Amino acid sequence: MSIHLEAVSVRLGEADVLRDVSLNLAARTVAVIGENGSGKSTFARLIGGLVVRTTGELSVLGLDPTRRAAELRRRIALVFSNPDAQIVMPTVAEDVAFSLRADRLRSVEVRERVSAALDRFGLTALADRPSHDLSGGQKQLLALCGAFVRRPELVIADEPTAYLDARNARRVADHLFEDTGHRLVLVTHDLVLAERCEVAVLFTAGRVAAVGEPTAILAEYEAILRC
Amino acid sequence: MLSFYRPGDGWLHRMPSGPKAFLLFAFVLGVSLLPSAWWAAAATATATALVYLLAGVGGWRELSHQILIVRWPIAITVASQLLFLGPEQAVANTVRVVAAIVLAALLVLTTRVSALLDMIERGLRPMERLGLDSQRAALLLTVTLTTIPVLARLAGDVRDAQRARGGRSSLRSFTVPFLVVALKHADELGDALTARGIR
Ligand SMILES: Nc1ncnc2c1ncn2[C@@H]1O[C@H](COP(=O)(O)OP(=O)(O)OP(=O)(O)O)[C@@H](O)[C@H]1O
Ligand SMILES: [Mg+2]
Repeated sequence: MSIHLEAVSVRLGEADVLRDVSLNLAARTVAVIGENGSGKSTFARLIGGLVVRTTGELSVLGLDPTRRAAELRRRIALVFSNPDAQIVMPTVAEDVAFSLRADRLRSVEVRERVSAALDRFGLTALADRPSHDLSGGQKQLLALCGAFVRRPELVIADEPTAYLDARNARRVADHLFEDTGHRLVLVTHDLVLAERCEVAVLFTAGRVAAVGEPTAILAEYEAILRC
Repeated sequence: MLSFYRPGDGWLHRMPSGPKAFLLFAFVLGVSLLPSAWWAAAATATATALVYLLAGVGGWRELSHQILIVRWPIAITVASQLLFLGPEQAVANTVRVVAAIVLAALLVLTTRVSALLDMIERGLRPMERLGLDSQRAALLLTVTLTTIPVLARLAGDVRDAQRARGGRSSLRSFTVPFLVVALKHADELGDALTARGIR
């Protein structure tokens, strides 16, 4: 079981942001959909170990994100919407290498992994460019590259295509869906992307309204939106 | 962008950052110990120019560029010293200060930020006995450097948004929304750092 929640609630300040969420997700690709404010990002941050549950039981890749946070973080990667906030180092190659800092690898290995990752994301020609001078699409590819260079078992992406044009959104999505042996949890408002996943989870007002085959879940979502 | 690094493969580029920093520091120290005399000024200027020409960073072009960056502080110090100390001291002092600045710049010009980060981390390690987390301190420095251009852009966005709505920019109407976007950025950056394996 890769992601397992049992009656999990999250309270942030005065708000009950997630209420009594129970889920068993074993699919390789999972879409998380729902209206603004329904708790999708909080769910993503919860399983990514950035938000702590208030009550309930939770395991991700067999680990409790609160108690085994460091170990879990080595095995997962998170991607967010805003590429600017994900870039840390001044040049493209350095930023990708930054993801490997905590691993204390030999510099030869770092260089090899970085150049392989840059190559895969089509960033080799930009390796020495200042990272903040890239276009939005290139920046998001860089963020993805920084996530994948760590060879994560689970990638959690919160609206990774929100700021992108159609072409770049497609490229980013293709990379996320490419089967490199990782699992994917994809929070998105793009229903076409949601449909590409094996399973969809629909959130409404902090609760799980439905889980299942994406076309059925999307139909349910449409119905909710209509009333 | 606050990355001053110029890609290249001169001997300064290839030199490990620790010894390079030490060498440049020794050079700067040597220069500042010379007396305030015409010959010292000439020697300093010649030596500095030679280092630039031989460092493989673009020779005269880079040197003049670096000097241009500090032209206003130079102008002010020259003017005040001419007034109080006379030409020989004024020129010698100014040459000394400029040489120190452009030589220090060489470290940044020829060293990648990640190598600087490693160097700072190693340099601060002895301080760990006093309770300083060297890894954190080095990271803080780097993140500060790379965040400045982002903040500058956010400030531009806030100003544009206000102009677009026909508002006149005042310090107060600027400060509040700017703080909000800056803090939001800090929040997101914190998440991203955590997500990328930094405690
Ligand atoms: N730190 C916080 N403190 C208090 N309330 C919060 C906090 N973070 C989020 N919330 C609230 O929790 C609710 C769910 O937020 P969340 O960001 O998870 O929604 P979302 O589904 O991702 O929305 P969107 O589609 O707009 O990204 C919102 O009502 C939000 O205001
Ligand atoms: Mg969200």
